[in-house]
Amino acid sequence: MIPLIIILFGVTMLYVSSASRIESYIKALNMQGFLLLLLVVFDYGTIHIESFIFLCFETLVVKAIAIPLFITHIIRKNGVYREVDPNVTSRFSIIVTSIIFVMGFYFSFWAIDKVDNIRPFYFGISISTMVASIFIIITRKKIITHVMCYMMLENGIFLLALSIAREMPFIVAFGMLLDIFIAIYLFGLFVNKVQDTYSEVDITKLTSLKD
Amino acid sequence: MIEILLLFPVAAAILIFLFNSRRFSSMLILLYAAVFLGISVMFCFEPYEFTRYFRVDQLNRLFLIILAVIFSGVALYNLGSMKGMKGMKGAEEPGRSHSFYSMNILLFVASMIGVILSTHLALLWVFVEASTLSSSYLIYYSRTKSSLEATWKYLFICSIGIAIAFVGIIFLSMGLGNLDSLFFDDLQKNAALINPFWLKLAYPFMLVGFGTKVGFGPVHSWLPDAHSESPSPISALLSGTLLNTALLGIIRINRVMDAARMGWYTQMLLLVIGFISIFIAAVYIVNIRNYKRMLAYSSIENMGIIAIGLGLGGAGIFAALLHTAAHSLTKASLFLTSGNILKVYETKYIGEVKGLLKKDSLSGWLWIFSFAGIVGLPPFPIFLSEFLIIRSMFEGGRVWLAVIFFLLLTVIIAGIGRAVFYMTGGIREGDDISLRAKGLGFYSYAPQIIFLAILILMGVSMPDFIYNLIQSAVQFMGV
Repeated sequence: MIPLIIILFGVTMLYVSSASRIESYIKALNMQGFLLLLLVVFDYGTIHIESFIFLCFETLVVKAIAIPLFITHIIRKNGVYREVDPNVTSRFSIIVTSIIFVMGFYFSFWAIDKVDNIRPFYFGISISTMVASIFIIITRKKIITHVMCYMMLENGIFLLALSIAREMPFIVAFGMLLDIFIAIYLFGLFVNKVQDTYSEVDITKLTSLKD
Repeated sequence: MIEILLLFPVAAAILIFLFNSRRFSSMLILLYAAVFLGISVMFCFEPYEFTRYFRVDQLNRLFLIILAVIFSGVALYNLGSMKGMKGMKGAEEPGRSHSFYSMNILLFVASMIGVILSTHLALLWVFVEASTLSSSYLIYYSRTKSSLEATWKYLFICSIGIAIAFVGIIFLSMGLGNLDSLFFDDLQKNAALINPFWLKLAYPFMLVGFGTKVGFGPVHSWLPDAHSESPSPISALLSGTLLNTALLGIIRINRVMDAARMGWYTQMLLLVIGFISIFIAAVYIVNIRNYKRMLAYSSIENMGIIAIGLGLGGAGIFAALLHTAAHSLTKASLFLTSGNILKVYETKYIGEVKGLLKKDSLSGWLWIFSFAGIVGLPPFPIFLSEFLIIRSMFEGGRVWLAVIFFLLLTVIIAGIGRAVFYMTGGIREGDDISLRAKGLGFYSYAPQIIFLAILILMGVSMPDFIYNLIQSAVQFMGV
């Protein structure tokens, strides 16, 4: 069951890399939140009850519901142009993301010979998710896409942190502090300052500062 | 004492919010600076501990006193710029913004103190994140289109850096086995027990993550934007103190790596990242058009020099710490003076600034002396630190490194020198040179004069107090 959930988590990243509509990104975020919740429930039923409740809250309320809802709200309010408008074709994106996943697995199965406390699925998928998120951030132009991919990067980190949640539960809690950044970005977009100043929210407009 | 340093700014921020008065908030910042300076001088003589999580040791007291001195200078300068720090056309300043500005300065300094004094890796990381958040409003302060762009880039790039550093912390935790503690002391004592595979994997992540905040190339791209768009006192704080605090995180991890007998690995990476930083700075500085961005690239260069000093080890470490102190003071002086220039000329473009010596001679001379300080002309201490770095390159048989280092520094000196002398030099016919800038008074010059005086004192005859501070930090690092 657990490998299946983790593989599904990886599939959401492949989906995102080929998607061309912003709604698909929100669905993927939603999905990732629920998958992380399932992982916590199936894999961490035995940890301390406070940590368990905290992890469930973080995954279900924050990651799966609150942030995707808020992003949907912002998109409607700001009337963001719906296409993702990438710098590269979606075919190229999906090929690169697949290569990243292959490399991630290769690395994690290579590492398993060196150390014993590695769980190859957790490790491989989380590493690949982080790298793929950064790749997608680099190749997309919309600011809102960047924020969503940052959230995916954070989900990858959360997955990695889960693998040591038994020994060091506070590490996972610290990871939640990264949500503050998401909150700040979304708040910035929500109060519409970026939108007011730049009529279309797109990094190609952020070029007044250069040498 | 540490509790005062951390709680005072929070209380003061609440008072500033309630009273919403410009004079009151500037005075409160000055009061905090005085208290902070007093306490940090006291810490230099006796160690202090506040719970397990905060401690003054031989290493961080150097960073603490640098922060205290620069912040005191900025607080003084702040008094002089009470009449508005806009200095830029098109900037607006609505009602409460000065109160928010003052509150954020206090919280920013408190978060940097937190980074410096933390004894726990994850806590240090949390304070680095807090410093990013509290400084972002300060960069956005002038509310122009370009400051918004700079703030967005700063937040986004630094948050990715912070996320990467966190991945490094997770990797390190995976290698701990039964240790289950991220206190630097525990990590260092048990370094031999940490799994070397995880340690090797964790280090580059932490180096790049914290290095993003330090401004190392190639993850420096937020730095010129943020430094050039924020008000000058904030640029001085960012360059003179924020970069150092993130550097302290890297130095602390280096100690753990050294204890695990992986010093060669950190040294190699630091040398690579140091040279990349200097190279990037040299490429951009040659044809720079904006003097605040020029200073920002110079910060990238100097952080690179510090990384190289740390990477060389031995005498290089002393040079790196001396360079840290000297660069902070010099760069703060440069940025504060650049604030004066911005007020006089209302432009950041080098091509539009001419005849500074005639128009505002004190700022002109401060600009020239600070330039001499930053490029390392004797008697300024950067001369000494760069000389020591080059000497330790020769001693280590790395002559080709010294040659590249020399060449890149020469390019940078030429680039900065050209701009500085263009700005201070000749004046066009028909220009009104009698006009003196409004709002420039005693406080707009005093901090820079004090900084330069300390620097010359350090360069001519290093006071025992400062020498011992640096030397004991070097010993603490186990060299």
